[in-house]
Amino acid sequence: MSQASPSVVLIEDEAAIRKFLRISLEAHGYAVHEARLGEVGITLCAEKSPDLVILDMGLPDIDGQSVIARLRDWSQVPIVVLSVRSDERQKVAALDAGANDYVTKPFGVSELLARIRVLLRDREQGTADAAILSDGELRIDLRERRVWIAEREVRLTRKEFDLLKLFAKRRGRVLTHQQILNAVWGADRGAETQNLRVLVAALRQKLGDDPSRPRYLVTEPGVGYRFRTE
Amino acid sequence: MGLQPASRTGIRVSATPLAYGLAPVAVGVALLFAQLATYVLPHANLSLVFLTAVLIMASRTGLGPGLLTGLLSFLAYNYFFIGPQFTFRVDDDGDIATLLFFLLMAAVTGNLAAGMRREMEKNQASIERLSSLHEFGQRMLSAVDEAQVVSLLRAQLRTALAVPVEVLTPGASGALTAPPQGAAEDLDPALADRAWSSTSSDPLEAGGWAFYRLRSPQGPLALVAIQSMPGSEGFNDLARSLCHQASLALDRVMLAGELAAAKLTSETEQLRSALLSSVSHDLRTPLASIIGSTSSLHDYGDAFSPHDRHELLATVLAEARRLDRYIQNLLDMTRIGQGAISLHRDWVDIRDLIASATARLQTAGEAPPPFDVHVDDEVPMLWVHGVLIEQALVNLLDNAARFSPPGGQVAIDAHRVEEHLEITVCDQGPGIPVEEQDKVFDMFYTVRQGDRVGQPGTGLGLAICRGLIGAHGGSVTAHTGHAGRGTCMVVRLPLLTPHTGAAT
Repeated sequence: MSQASPSVVLIEDEAAIRKFLRISLEAHGYAVHEARLGEVGITLCAEKSPDLVILDMGLPDIDGQSVIARLRDWSQVPIVVLSVRSDERQKVAALDAGANDYVTKPFGVSELLARIRVLLRDREQGTADAAILSDGELRIDLRERRVWIAEREVRLTRKEFDLLKLFAKRRGRVLTHQQILNAVWGADRGAETQNLRVLVAALRQKLGDDPSRPRYLVTEPGVGYRFRTE
Repeated sequence: MGLQPASRTGIRVSATPLAYGLAPVAVGVALLFAQLATYVLPHANLSLVFLTAVLIMASRTGLGPGLLTGLLSFLAYNYFFIGPQFTFRVDDDGDIATLLFFLLMAAVTGNLAAGMRREMEKNQASIERLSSLHEFGQRMLSAVDEAQVVSLLRAQLRTALAVPVEVLTPGASGALTAPPQGAAEDLDPALADRAWSSTSSDPLEAGGWAFYRLRSPQGPLALVAIQSMPGSEGFNDLARSLCHQASLALDRVMLAGELAAAKLTSETEQLRSALLSSVSHDLRTPLASIIGSTSSLHDYGDAFSPHDRHELLATVLAEARRLDRYIQNLLDMTRIGQGAISLHRDWVDIRDLIASATARLQTAGEAPPPFDVHVDDEVPMLWVHGVLIEQALVNLLDNAARFSPPGGQVAIDAHRVEEHLEITVCDQGPGIPVEEQDKVFDMFYTVRQGDRVGQPGTGLGLAICRGLIGAHGGSVTAHTGHAGRGTCMVVRLPLLTPHTGAAT
């Protein structure tokens, strides 16, 4: 899919929302295919092999959760979910089922475009791991398991480093508590979110990240964490 | 209290052989006195000494021993003082008449004294009954609900009557049920049912039980069953007046309940109309700006300068966000109002909550004052529903930001106080008068004072905040700020763990 314009399948039943999304996305160089219903959307994904899917969770025919599950049966296409507020559990369920990120309605277009850019960038880079990640201030050597902030080395514990590595490899993307627990502690151990909170607090402190105004590890209320990119 | 034992004791003592045994003793003592009196009194008047003994015995022990004392006195007087002495023979007719009168006097005075004594006992009993009734009435006055009235009545009847008593109330099914610890196992349920469904207003007596019904204006409320005792007429009166008092108390309790319900209804009505006016005002105002701005862009957009177009669009965006916040508030309020908040507790870092709350206000578009955040190192992880606590913080911060003067700042401080987390949010605004510091948490209440008038507030934010914190077992209160300036909102959250009973 490395044509000039990346393609997006948009599954959303509200005509007004489809319209402003199509106009905005096309203006940013994306080719947009629209579907009003979940079934149509799944078929469209099979036909067009899009680079990304935008999925509304409240569809009239089938619910968003099962659209995600059916897409994940045969495709790893990035999915951004459009969710409603005050239902963080729905977001968590969608993410744990395989969606890659979400925006909450009502949302600004810039927020959605930022999510899309992150997901498409990850896709372009693929799994070709760079051994060293750096944003100018924070530098991480994945092979040597060493971390520097402004040229000063920071000593991390094993778990702290695992957590940082997990975030750094998925910069800009949300990770649910469960996803992080599974990745850092392993799925078999009954680690609790309390362990995670403590670990995040410790990592933030070592990175000099003010928890009230975090620069790197941002909390997504009720859902998980996101490693900020810019 | 103690009414029944007192009256019974009196009757029993008068019937004992001891009282009759006292009669000869009394006569002996009288004889001794009479013997001494022969030196000063003519012997015809010696009968007065014996009459005194008869009077004392009759008044102290009752009629029977009194009469026995009279008879013995007659014999002793005859034997020792009427000539010929030391025989029961009487020669003089005048002496015979004296003796006959003597016996008559003994009978009459003994009877009188015994009557007085009975009267006194009765008075004593009714005084005790009255004071017991009075005390019962006092306790009835303090009863707050029907169940309490019924249980007080049961306790009182059992103590006062000392016979098996049961108070039966209709259960949920409408069938009479006696409490499980009830003492009336020999009460026939069919009998009780018949008494219950009887339409007569008089007490019903059947099968050795007397039944009284407690009525309220809505109908019968409870059935009192009292086992009948032989000769317990006075008890029936007592039972009746106790039941009457209980009925009055029931009336009062139910009336109070109805008044409270009526007050609630009128408050609900007020709230409903406040909600309607709020919805029509707070939904339409942003919509008016949005429709106005967009229609003018749509129709005359080409005629505007780029700057003006941008201004109009910024207005639309800001007003739409305001509308969104308001709708979120209404939704939250509805959930709190229906008590439908289900807490999904999890471990949360208060720093995270403060960070995302301040971040949300900063992206809301209306540049808030700077937030000065301080979280004590001692603050532990919280076991709460994070999103709800964050929403409560957003509402507090939004309120503080709205009333901050230009150049002012909002201070947020979180620290541990014993088994609570205390979060204070202080602004440098005009402050809230002390008498309104609790009212600001009422729904649709906005402080009408100073420069607060005309501030865009829906009067929902703080009510929601209190509801959300309250759902976690915490509290929010408003206080005058440092040095009498501004307002400090204080949130107190109990520090719980999954093991200390926060099992929701």
